[in-house]
Amino acid sequence: MSATTFAVTFARAGVTTQCRPDEFILNAGETAGVALPYSCREGACGTCKSKLVSGQVQMNHKGGIRQREIDRGLILICCSHPLSDLVIEEAGARTGS
Amino acid sequence: MITPLELAALTANRRPGYTLPAAFYQSQEVYEQDLRLIFGRHWIFVGTEPEIPEAGDFLTVAIGTDSIIILRDDDEQLRAFHNVCRHRGARLQSARNGVLSNIVCPYHQWTYNLTGELTRCKHMGEGFDRRDFGLKPVHVRSLAGLLYICLSEEPAPGFDEMQAAMEPYLKPHDLLNTKVAHQTELIEHGNWKLTMENNRECYHCTANHPELLVPLLEFGFGYQASPENAQALQNFDDLLAREHVRWEGYGLASRELDLLERVTGFRTVRLPIARAGESQTPDTKVASTRLLGALPRADLGGLSFWTQPNSWHHFMSDHVITFSVLPLAPNRTMLRTTWLVHKDAQEGVDYDMHRLTSVWIATNHQDGALVARAQTGVESPAYQPGPYSPFTEGLVEKIVEWYIGRLGEGLAAS
Repeated sequence: MSATTFAVTFARAGVTTQCRPDEFILNAGETAGVALPYSCREGACGTCKSKLVSGQVQMNHKGGIRQREIDRGLILICCSHPLSDLVIEEAGARTGS
Repeated sequence: MITPLELAALTANRRPGYTLPAAFYQSQEVYEQDLRLIFGRHWIFVGTEPEIPEAGDFLTVAIGTDSIIILRDDDEQLRAFHNVCRHRGARLQSARNGVLSNIVCPYHQWTYNLTGELTRCKHMGEGFDRRDFGLKPVHVRSLAGLLYICLSEEPAPGFDEMQAAMEPYLKPHDLLNTKVAHQTELIEHGNWKLTMENNRECYHCTANHPELLVPLLEFGFGYQASPENAQALQNFDDLLAREHVRWEGYGLASRELDLLERVTGFRTVRLPIARAGESQTPDTKVASTRLLGALPRADLGGLSFWTQPNSWHHFMSDHVITFSVLPLAPNRTMLRTTWLVHKDAQEGVDYDMHRLTSVWIATNHQDGALVARAQTGVESPAYQPGPYSPFTEGLVEKIVEWYIGRLGEGLAAS
């Protein structure tokens, strides 16, 4: 069976790219040239916190997000795999430089 | 320029019963000493527990150029830290409040847990010991849900005593089971001491606060007796005595307690409210039909609580209002006002926002204009200290006397 990929749309950048089920959304975005803020890349710091507008993900974070935030539809894209096509409102750049 | 030595002399020579010399209201040097010796060394009222009810909730408070994060950690303990990254000093949180899982500096993502430990930072090398770079803690205490911080290394003495004395007054209103219904931030164009002096008297009320004068009985704030008002004063004293007996029958501590002269100074008394006697609303009836805690009825007057140097509060049967005064500049002061109702009260069902907030929104704006008027006056070359009324401004004298004493002691020790 050939690997399925999912269409991931970064709404602010206006970019749609493909993401494998074993790939992190952050990596797929970077490959597609989307500017995405990050720091720890393991779900601990929360820098890449983004809004999941539609779709489902598998997230394995290390405390960088609270259940209350997850309940509001936020995810950490550095440690989330897609389970479906996604629309993401990605975090903006945090500083001016 | 005023040197600390000159300020110490001004402090020592202050004429009791009179307003302060102009420098106290406008000089940058006095302002800096106020931040250091008054706001830096005493218990400062900054907010309420219902503003940070759950693990991860935080609020930030600015005092002068300082900023403090107050939060509830993963074990639901209250903690406070200086809002300054230990890397290059960046302000960690610029939001007024929100939710945190970690405290991550937006600059280089140094990451602190909610107990203040530096848990992650990249590119700092093998020998780098993160344990040396935790956030600087600040003392934080809750008095029945009112949050106080103390910025000095050794906290000011007397918080435990204030807590023991005040809990019987405050706890029946069950602030921990309230929620914030409304909050306003008003920048007053005056020195913080003018804001506090204005709060400590009601000499100005009859001419300036038509909304507040509906629920408020002016005799509760000091009055010069005369043949014309003798009967009204007697009636008020009788009402106060009668109501204190009635309220204490419900288990509500009500009698005046005045310990304003202490380092952690405070005063409280439960006062009758006019007409229906229930709440500081446009018609003196409760604004929220969902009463606080297990209070037995609506007409319980208002428990007022004042703390040195920067707060006052009114606890009624249906809502609580708290006021936090924080200096921003020699001639600029933040007044943050918070209205709290029962946590299960629903807006539009149990309470009406306009009825809840209108009296004090109007009163705050009137007070802000009075403070600005006083500031422009004391900046005039013609200003000289003037006398407080011994009848209506005794509590103004008490906060000014406290301030002068605390400042003088701080200056002498440094």
